[in-house]
Amino acid sequence: MIVMDRKKYKQLRVIVTLFVGAIVALAVVRDSYLLAAAGVLTGMVFMVLMRSKAKIRTDEREATIQEKAARMTYAIFAPTIGIAAFLLLLPSKGGFSVFSKGEWLFIESLGMVFAYLTLFLIVIYAISYHFFNRKFGGGGNEE
Amino acid sequence: MQDLTQEQLADKIGVSRQTIIAIEANKYLPSLGLAFKIARLFKVKVEDIFNYEGDENEN
Repeated sequence: MIVMDRKKYKQLRVIVTLFVGAIVALAVVRDSYLLAAAGVLTGMVFMVLMRSKAKIRTDEREATIQEKAARMTYAIFAPTIGIAAFLLLLPSKGGFSVFSKGEWLFIESLGMVFAYLTLFLIVIYAISYHFFNRKFGGGGNEE
Repeated sequence: MQDLTQEQLADKIGVSRQTIIAIEANKYLPSLGLAFKIARLFKVKVEDIFNYEGDENEN
């Protein structure tokens, strides 16, 4: 088992990404889809193997920063996209028929996409919350 | 006390040098596990290195 810290892992990931990028660029120049697919696949397999074989040491401060950043992202993104969906759906659902046909139709479609995205985000949050709550002893079955 | 650089201390307890700098500057409060690791490394008690100045009724 190889032990590497997250910094080294990130450096390795950058090298692999550059390698895959170069292969894909070469594939585009040569017009070869096979080469591009092979390059991407090789990079993915290498990274998966590296993750499974190497023990990546995560710094707890970095994990705390990631948690806080994720929480803030959710707190900002969920209401923003929810309100955007509401505002985009309001004209067509509010009886303004001009917005439900012709060139304005995309507004309603965009609103629907945003609304489903909001729901998807909330569902993912709820599932992951439930999972981590159980993982950290919040299931309520332990004495 | 052992004569260690921040980098050496970070390597010994398995964190980054930035974490050591942040702890020393009182910008990051380490987890209990990390606090015990540091205390064990220097062969002292946790409270010899860290002191908590929060409110006792604080949650």
